[in-house]
Amino acid sequence: MSRAATRAACLAFVLLAAALAAPATADAPKRIVALTPFSANTLAALGVKPIAIGQTLGGDANFAPSLRRVRTLALAHPNGPNMEQLASLRPGLVLSSPTWTRGNRTMRNLDMRVEVPEPLTVLDMYERIEDIAAMVDRERGGRRLVARIKREISRATRALKSRPRVMLVLGVGRTPYVFLPNSWGGYIMQLAGARLVDANAESRSGFARISDEAIVDADPDVIIGVPHARAEDLDGIRDYMRSNEIWKLTQAGQENRIYVWGDDALLQANLDVGSTISRVRTRFLKNR
Amino acid sequence: MSGRRVLVVAITVAALLAGVGASLALGTIDVPLREVIDSLLGRAEEGPAKQIILQLRLPRTVDAILVGAALGVAGALLQGALGNPLASPDVIGVTAGSGFGAILILLAFPGSIALLPVGALVFGLTAATLVFVVAWIGPDGGGAGRLILAGIAIAALFAAGTTGLMTAYPDRVQSAVFFLAGGLVSDGWDEMKVVWPYFAVGFVLAVSLIRPLDRLALGDDVAASLGTRPRLIRLGAGGAAALLAAASAAIAGLLGFLGLVVPHVIRMAGGTASHGFVVPVSAIGGAALLLAGDTLARTVKPPLELPVGPFMVVIGVPMFLWLLRKAV
Repeated sequence: MSRAATRAACLAFVLLAAALAAPATADAPKRIVALTPFSANTLAALGVKPIAIGQTLGGDANFAPSLRRVRTLALAHPNGPNMEQLASLRPGLVLSSPTWTRGNRTMRNLDMRVEVPEPLTVLDMYERIEDIAAMVDRERGGRRLVARIKREISRATRALKSRPRVMLVLGVGRTPYVFLPNSWGGYIMQLAGARLVDANAESRSGFARISDEAIVDADPDVIIGVPHARAEDLDGIRDYMRSNEIWKLTQAGQENRIYVWGDDALLQANLDVGSTISRVRTRFLKNR
Repeated sequence: MSGRRVLVVAITVAALLAGVGASLALGTIDVPLREVIDSLLGRAEEGPAKQIILQLRLPRTVDAILVGAALGVAGALLQGALGNPLASPDVIGVTAGSGFGAILILLAFPGSIALLPVGALVFGLTAATLVFVVAWIGPDGGGAGRLILAGIAIAALFAAGTTGLMTAYPDRVQSAVFFLAGGLVSDGWDEMKVVWPYFAVGFVLAVSLIRPLDRLALGDDVAASLGTRPRLIRLGAGGAAALLAAASAAIAGLLGFLGLVVPHVIRMAGGTASHGFVVPVSAIGGAALLLAGDTLARTVKPPLELPVGPFMVVIGVPMFLWLLRKAV
């Protein structure tokens, strides 16, 4: 082989190797807006920085530290984000929520690519993570992230010593709703070893309105209140839950096992399932 | 036309033009006036600014004009036809019916949000039909008093249905608040494509009823002696108002206040109750008021877009009270 031919062959080999090694990002959207904490945190875990993230009005969602400096879009009914603001960002991909069905339609009319990869329970979270990873061309990272979360959950759910009857109560203001097994928090509670008390309520949304009387009638061993309100109103609802005289009539009340959850980890999809389960078991179920 | 009426027309037209300008030029994102004009004239380059003007602000401005005009006309028709200063689309059950239809879609079928305008239209018109049927059957049917009482009863029925839905789906009520408070949404032309024929028929009917309503204002007996059929006129006016109010609710939620107040303001400002003046000028005034309220609602606390209902009340009530005091 001549010297020129050898050089050409080497050059071709180097170019081929470089092409194979580089991430195939040609089709991956560059300007991504993530309107839910789950999609924003998934992107962050995959090493992708969105150009904007959504935060509901008065909300206090937990975001990954790498998202702290990312622009925030206020979300409010009926559309979700302000459409003018969103259009001005020229997003190549919007990761939205079923809550903003009306806004999603408008975004599509504005020629935006809109996907709704929001899981309802831990069971469909893995698939949603892989969906997001595929959208941003990080399939391998997605698989690794899923494997990591599964490992964390497996560690957190080991050696259950007891399975107390737990009622998880969402406090929208002073109105109680019970978490059902098909809710995010309800499913996590079962993974943590709780026998979820749902007072025979059913709802596709995962939450059902319940009366204080029904809570007393169900008589759970543990009550965990999850306040849902504007940040400035949370303390008042926490106090109300802790001092609810009717709840104190239950087994949970008699044994001082009425607790109040502090953040949104039981309310909406997030990647820290393992640590949430550990917190639930250690602080509330005491079944380690 | 007297100088006073010419002045009122000039002021309302000027307010409408100012409202259109403000609605197109103002918003969360600053778009230079030059780009607004270029976008409207088709000279702007493709990009976010053009998209904001043509696909968000322009449809919203057209929505505000049509809904404001429709509610102003609906109120003028009903107040004229029923001879009652308190008449508005609420009285013939349309508002309550549309509210029920929209809340049904928003709460029970949130996945079918595209059906919201259809639900509001269908149930608004159903409520109005029920009111007319109840008011017309039996002896002495078709009188203004019976129509109003039937309207109150049917409205109560649909309002109870709405409350029932909100109790059945408490976790989704938040998504319905905006509709109940009344507000326009930046969502393009989708809803207008569904409801424009109802606006068209309602406006045409309204124009055709102007002279008969003037005769009806002389009293049923005099109107009948002039060859007008009072019950038929009332039915026609109620039908037109129902079409206009239901189509409006389908786009902008429940904005009953506008239909009540605007015709009064126009009547008092113009110093005449002639429908040839009140109906068209109420259309212009209603459009101007809704444009002003909507522009305020989406610029007062950007990027949030607030419901327009309270803003219209803030703008309209002082004007109404001032005119009322002068009239008294």
